[in-house]
Amino acid sequence: MKLVDRFTLWFLGVTLLIIVPINSYITYVSIRHEIDKSAVERLKHVNQRVGEVLNRGEEPGEFTQGCRIKVVPVSDTKPADYYEITDRDVTHDPELKDNDRKITVTSWHTVNGQHFKITSGDYVTRSEQILAGLRISIVSKLIILILLLVLTARLASRIVLAPFYSTLKKLQHFNLKNKKKLALRPTRTKEFSELNTYVSKMTDKAVDDYISLKEFAENASHELQTPLAIIRSKLELLSESDIRGEQAVLISDMQNSVDKLTHINRSLVLLSRLENNEYEAREEVSLSKYTKDAMGSFGDLITLKGLHLEYKVADDVDVKLHASLVDILLNNLIGNAIRHNIPNGRIEVVLDKDCLRISNTGVPPTGNPEEMFQRFKKGTQCNHSIGIGLSIVKQICDINSFKIRYQFASSLHMVTIAFPAASNSSKLLQNDERYLHEKIQL
Amino acid sequence: MKVLLIEDNVELASSISEFLAREGYICEVSYNIRDAQDRLISFQYDCVLLDIMLPDGNGLDILSFMRMERIQSSILILSAKNSLDDKVIGLEEGADDYLTKPFHLPELHARLRAIYRRKKLNGSNIIAFNEISLNIDTLEARVNDILLDMTRKEFDLLLYFIVNKNRVLSRQSIAAHLWGDYTDNLANFDFVYQHVKNIRKKISAANGTDYIGTVYGLGYKFNTSKQ
Repeated sequence: MKLVDRFTLWFLGVTLLIIVPINSYITYVSIRHEIDKSAVERLKHVNQRVGEVLNRGEEPGEFTQGCRIKVVPVSDTKPADYYEITDRDVTHDPELKDNDRKITVTSWHTVNGQHFKITSGDYVTRSEQILAGLRISIVSKLIILILLLVLTARLASRIVLAPFYSTLKKLQHFNLKNKKKLALRPTRTKEFSELNTYVSKMTDKAVDDYISLKEFAENASHELQTPLAIIRSKLELLSESDIRGEQAVLISDMQNSVDKLTHINRSLVLLSRLENNEYEAREEVSLSKYTKDAMGSFGDLITLKGLHLEYKVADDVDVKLHASLVDILLNNLIGNAIRHNIPNGRIEVVLDKDCLRISNTGVPPTGNPEEMFQRFKKGTQCNHSIGIGLSIVKQICDINSFKIRYQFASSLHMVTIAFPAASNSSKLLQNDERYLHEKIQL
Repeated sequence: MKVLLIEDNVELASSISEFLAREGYICEVSYNIRDAQDRLISFQYDCVLLDIMLPDGNGLDILSFMRMERIQSSILILSAKNSLDDKVIGLEEGADDYLTKPFHLPELHARLRAIYRRKKLNGSNIIAFNEISLNIDTLEARVNDILLDMTRKEFDLLLYFIVNKNRVLSRQSIAAHLWGDYTDNLANFDFVYQHVKNIRKKISAANGTDYIGTVYGLGYKFNTSKQ
């Protein structure tokens, strides 16, 4: 639900449930009070006149000034300013089925020592009639109010919330990778300016952290690779020199370890780069072509290991993926399929529009399949691997919103990578304000 | 072949220049950009080996400097930063190849040779050693004029051997050459062994000399003194 709709509903709810009843009640009571007051005033005046008529010694008629009066001689008297006021609903004319409200005012007068009780009465507007009148005015007022609200709320919200939407839009387009701090539009609204302050504080910190993290990753890689390069080159020079057999074995062991170290370092740096989203897919690449190329380059290895390769690669499978990641992805998956295979085993590669599936024969996994994608977790103790390949594959899949799944069934290890449907990606590209509004509703 | 090595790390520079000197290169070393620029203006080099991170600036600046001064040397970037940006920028700015540290010295040599061959337009695309000849355009290997039935990897490996003749080639270096950097130790050295065995078998079958020998504990060597 949109903010403006919430406000509108809240406002209407308060108006309908609280303001309208209270207001109606107050209006009703005050109108009735005014009507009664003026009727009483008039009747008092009538009683006064009747008193004057009696003073003159004349007989008052049954009606004075359109009001019905009753003069009764009584034995006792009340002070001149004492009035007895009653009002009641009376059935004025049973045939008309009309209920009226009658107000009577009684006062006491003394004429020539004789006490009289003068009662005059009049019919006044009934409460139902007042309410009926009120209802019309309230309903029409409400209709005008709702119409105006609905018409102006959106406009007002667009104007008032403009800084908010601008901040949201900037956030939506914010990308750490650009290393650009957010420039938010200044606003006079207190809440929005506070929001902007915190948002810029947060994003500035994130950008700073990102930059230092990236620098650290780069420096770590640089600082480690240079010594590694020195060790490796010195070992190579050493192996060229005049050495004995046992020294050669020592050198070879060192070379193996340097290799492993190099590989771990490279993989960790690659992983941190992937996590930093440095390999953003800009265009679609032909996965079919890359897969076929990989099959070609691994063909030798597969034959050497005496494995049987079956593959079904559909043409024109294009996916959004960074070109250098395609190789890493395929090399790791096919490499794993070769390495963890059994003699005379089988490798099956299937690529179609929706997914890439690589399955291979092999010994059943010992660990939890879920942990396969974690770093340095190895299904089987294999000294030729450091156990980081699958976690790189997973990371590549994650940043490109591919779904990766591992299964082991009927002595086949099966890794399936499902590509996202093409329609989703195009929808994500829409960034107009209406789309933004839809997103806010979530 | 005259090479200028621009590398700030003295240890690494000495390894590289020693190795290249043994291969018959004339190798000069600059440890910073200023010195490199002076040398580039004063002398002519066939190839420049360029480190990206230098104490007085970014090695990529050398690329634009060379373009401005119209220096025609080939450029091979040696970088510890295996970040893609550098690679893309480097190749766009006119570098011929890109090698990530830590590299194997024989690999560096093979790349230098490849660049050199490409640059020399009138150069032949046939690399020959005694009875073996390799055509790098058609990827055909011949021994005594008999065409060998070789796979792409075997051809690459034989070329690597011939370029690095009389050098000990470690299994790691061969594996890295054949399968690249990111193959998660796919370099199961059995494969290297199998490939080498196949090459030797195929050369012998064509009555060629079995130049490739095993160096105990270390790897293999293309031994030209074998008869």
